[in-house]
Amino acid sequence: MSERNPPTGTTVPSEPGAQRPRAIQLVQALRQELRKAVIGQGAVVDGVLTALVAGGHVLLEGVPGLGKTLLVRALARCFDGEFARIQFTPDLMPSDLTGHAVYDVKSERFKLRRGPVFTHLLLADEINRAPAKTQAALLEVMQERQVTLEGRALPVPQPFMVLATQNPIEQEGTYPLPEAELDRFMLMLRMDYPEQDDERELVRQVTRSASADMLEVTPLRNLLQPQDVAMLQQAASDLPVDDQVLDYAVRLVRATRDWPGLTLGAGPRASIALIRCARARALLRGGDFVVPDDVKGGALAVLRHRVRLAPELEIEGRSVDQTLLQLLDQLPAPRL
Amino acid sequence: MRLSDASLAIRPRPPWEACDLGVLLARRHAGVLMASWAALTLPLYGLLTLVLWDQPSLAFLLFWWLKPLYERLPLFILSRALFGEVPGVRQSLRALPGELKAQLLPSLLWRRFSPVRSFALPVQQLEKLSGQARRERLALLLQRDGAPASWLTIVGMHLEMALWLGLLGLLYLMLPAQVELAWSWQDLLGLTSDWLWIEHLSNLLYVLVLIVWEPVYVACGFSLYLNRRTQLEAWDIELSFRRLRDRLAAALPILLASLCLLLPGPGGTGLLQAAESEPPFATESAAAPAFSRAQARERIGELLQQPPFQNRETVTRWRLESAAEDEHDGSGLLERLGRLHRLWQSLDGVALALEVLLWTGLLLSVGWLLWRYRAWLQAFGLRRRAQAPAAGRPPAQLFGLELAPESLPADPAAEAARLWDSDPRAALGLLYRGMLSELLRQRRVVLRASDTEGEVLRRLEQLREPDLQAFAGRLTTLWQNLAYGHRAPPTALREPLCSEWTRLFGRGVQA
Repeated sequence: MSERNPPTGTTVPSEPGAQRPRAIQLVQALRQELRKAVIGQGAVVDGVLTALVAGGHVLLEGVPGLGKTLLVRALARCFDGEFARIQFTPDLMPSDLTGHAVYDVKSERFKLRRGPVFTHLLLADEINRAPAKTQAALLEVMQERQVTLEGRALPVPQPFMVLATQNPIEQEGTYPLPEAELDRFMLMLRMDYPEQDDERELVRQVTRSASADMLEVTPLRNLLQPQDVAMLQQAASDLPVDDQVLDYAVRLVRATRDWPGLTLGAGPRASIALIRCARARALLRGGDFVVPDDVKGGALAVLRHRVRLAPELEIEGRSVDQTLLQLLDQLPAPRL
Repeated sequence: MRLSDASLAIRPRPPWEACDLGVLLARRHAGVLMASWAALTLPLYGLLTLVLWDQPSLAFLLFWWLKPLYERLPLFILSRALFGEVPGVRQSLRALPGELKAQLLPSLLWRRFSPVRSFALPVQQLEKLSGQARRERLALLLQRDGAPASWLTIVGMHLEMALWLGLLGLLYLMLPAQVELAWSWQDLLGLTSDWLWIEHLSNLLYVLVLIVWEPVYVACGFSLYLNRRTQLEAWDIELSFRRLRDRLAAALPILLASLCLLLPGPGGTGLLQAAESEPPFATESAAAPAFSRAQARERIGELLQQPPFQNRETVTRWRLESAAEDEHDGSGLLERLGRLHRLWQSLDGVALALEVLLWTGLLLSVGWLLWRYRAWLQAFGLRRRAQAPAAGRPPAQLFGLELAPESLPADPAAEAARLWDSDPRAALGLLYRGMLSELLRQRRVVLRASDTEGEVLRRLEQLREPDLQAFAGRLTTLWQNLAYGHRAPPTALREPLCSEWTRLFGRGVQA
């Protein structure tokens, strides 16, 4: 497992926005590469990149076979950092994630064995298959970027990002994520079936590749160093946000709390995530500042796992997305 | 029978009080009554049980059927006790065969189910009447006390049942659970012969209940009988006369002597003799010897035909029962109807008020419901209307901007060009507002308050006007740069932008 220290020598630009052109260029290139590997899921690729730039974690939801794991592997391939993958199973223990102390017979001492969370990119595959206690082992590392082992707080390498996947249709033998855990994911992305043209292209590429039914990710270029990610995040957080836009984001989140049709609204963490997500989206767009479109575009992914639908609407067969879209439809956008 | 020797106060009583007296009587002599009853019935029951061991129900039935037989015994004791000579148990039992002689068979056969059994018993046992005489006597006695006597029997039946069931319940409560379990098992298997003792035991309980209750029943019937006879034969009056005579017997010689002194002559003594020897009821019949029996009957018949015994009248038409006195005011009915009508009219006002009240309540509650669920209605009820294309007047205000044409200057482009250098924000805002206003007014684009600048641009794509689209894109970028990025627009763009605006929306030409 990883024994390396977190990157220390990230260059902090002296003037805000000085590195912005390079950041935009880099992120565009990254997007190009990822879209090469993951065909027909442009919105999800953008979402994952947004989370990477904003320094948040992503929960990917989709039926099996849409390339959730492929997307993460491609991201890991483009990124010259460490990548670990954990398949969540019902018998997975918290110490399987965070690590534990083992007795070394030769030195006659306990040695700390670090778990797979000590990495840059962590893929938690099928996260809802593990019981709540194992899911809870991720709480500390996701929020505070550190793991407490044997009473010692060990920082995980920076940048650190968790990409979790879950399957929405299976209910048997799964454990729904608790609200505290869900709230730690900045974005929840839904993957849908690709368009017909995209699917045709996808089938063509997969059947051409050597391995049986997997897309090759080896030809992807290695674009990103860990320091570059820090630079991207810095560039994003330097983007100016007008008060009107900030107000719009806060209004949006506050509206979920007393919106009829939602029994549980989003907390302040959602407002923070919304603004950070809007900054990252602005960077991805290549803009120099955040506009209301950035907020509105990211609102669904930020909010959909943080609210709970009223039982009446659930019985009526309405989804969270429909209700949130309606909210977005009725909340006045900012103007000057 | 010497009434003056009776051990109870003889006076006419209501039937229920008479029954109460019976209970008191039974209580006073409870010892001998119950002991003799038990001495008679228990051996008899034992005998029946032994003979009919295999048929407990039959034994029970026989015992129950023979009840009139045992009842002779308490009545014998009570009739003796009434005059102070209470017989002992042995004496009563010895006297029983003699008491049984009188009409035992009818008592056990067709009179067994008579509802007035205990009331009728003294007639045949004490008066020893039979046949026609008994029937007439009973008819006379039952004229008034028939109902209480029947009720006495019915209540007695229920009391018997209640006591017996209570004892049975107690018995079953006392049965150990294992015994009961074994019993129900064997009952299920049909081995009931082992459990006959339980049935005999329950029969015995009935016998025990009778020991308590039957003497009371007989005593109540007897006291009812005594009461009826007191009323019929005026025993109480007879008793008071006798008491009077006893008191006067001592003073009579003196009284006679003084009377002789005051009233000499034979008539006075004759009167006195008459007064002493004859009861007061006999004087009337003696004083009116003029009527023969047939004449008397005739006179009585005539009297009975007159009021107040009979009120005869002939009615030949229908009439209301109380109309006789109302006949004079036929208008009274009309008046009453009129009053009713007026009352009805006054109620009309109340009904109207009530109606108004109800409608107001309904409207208020509907209003309250609308207000209470206004959030839901805005969210879900008005959604469909919002989706329909806004065909009417375009909104005057959108996104917090004044969009009504009146709020804009006559030529926004010229005004913007003038302001460009001094206040670029106002200039660009004017152009953007003008564009949105014209889009709403001329192009009938559907814009909503929630649309962001990007969404407005996307809506413009549907118009398929490349010029307009390009211009709107440029203007929006400039506007966003200024509004959110705080970057002033380049001066070089002023002329082309303003002229393009005028060309596209054509306001400046007219101005």
